Amino acid sequence: MSIASDVIRGHTDAIILAQLMTEDSYGYKINRAVVEKTQGLFEFKEATLYTAFRRLEQSGYITSYWGDENTGARRRYYSITPYGVEQYNRMVAQWEESVGLLQRLIYPQKP
Amino acid sequence: MEYRIRAYVDELFQSAPRTQRAYELKVELTQNLLDKYFALLSEGKSQDDAYNLTVMSIGDVQELFEGLNEDAPAGPPVPPPVMAPAPGANRRALVVTVAVMLYILSVVPLIGLSALFPYSDMAPILGIVLMFVFIACATGLLVYNHMTKPKAQPYVVPGTVVQDFKEWQSGKSQKKQLMKFIRSVFWPLVLVVYFLISFGTGKWYITWLIFLIAPAVDSIISATLTLQDKNGR
Repeated sequence: MSIASDVIRGHTDAIILAQLMTEDSYGYKINRAVVEKTQGLFEFKEATLYTAFRRLEQSGYITSYWGDENTGARRRYYSITPYGVEQYNRMVAQWEESVGLLQRLIYPQKP
Repeated sequence: MEYRIRAYVDELFQSAPRTQRAYELKVELTQNLLDKYFALLSEGKSQDDAYNLTVMSIGDVQELFEGLNEDAPAGPPVPPPVMAPAPGANRRALVVTVAVMLYILSVVPLIGLSALFPYSDMAPILGIVLMFVFIACATGLLVYNHMTKPKAQPYVVPGTVVQDFKEWQSGKSQKKQLMKFIRSVFWPLVLVVYFLISFGTGKWYITWLIFLIAPAVDSIISATLTLQDKNGR
């Protein structure tokens, strides 16, 4: 599991942005979605997640705002910017290229 | 159990920088951890299990706090470096004191000589001459003091335009100070010479011409310095 985790962690930014492509979200909800999608096999550490949030915000990929909850819970929501969408698409294109190359590289030569 | 999570986060943030950003992060993190905790409870975990799982999911907060330091507005204000007393400060204080003393004492010879020799013609003349000598000395001391005062230079990165400019400027102001110095010594001297010649020769009708010659000499000195300055560049 550790190798897969390392690979996933290397794409933290893209994973977060992918979540925000559909709707604005907050930390727990994003992590929840990750857990569900991986059927409990992967989950971000909180520290990793918030470090990524700040990095993305400083780079202008996302913006944040405090949600107005009726329940009294104050949540910080994140929202992807047009520039973030652009960068997300670039990341996906890079990923697809990498996967294509790896598919060819990772198996032994056929005789 | 909820308070245990809050207490845990409180403790974590003891080592965090005291910034608005850190506080917001704390609020955000706490809320998300509580969400997680209640979700685990609703999945049927015991309170202890839910707490442990929640706390374990935080991970290494050190990298998070490091980021907070970066965008923190420099944390606690850096105290300004303590200025060591400028070398020669004592000497300069002494010089100023002597100069002021000379100013005050400058009238003493005049009063003293007049009182001692009330019928002498030379006594007041000598008194006035001495007065101007005193004044000239005092002024000279003050100007010298001013010129040798080291200026508090702000730190300048060497090899930059700013440094070039500073050098150019200080070169200019040194010349300026030299000129100031010459002027302040020059005019008392002119006065002294005027009185010396006038009292000595008694030709008051003509000696006032010194005051026509003096500005000319002054201008010549200024022009010479300016020219030198230009040639030296």
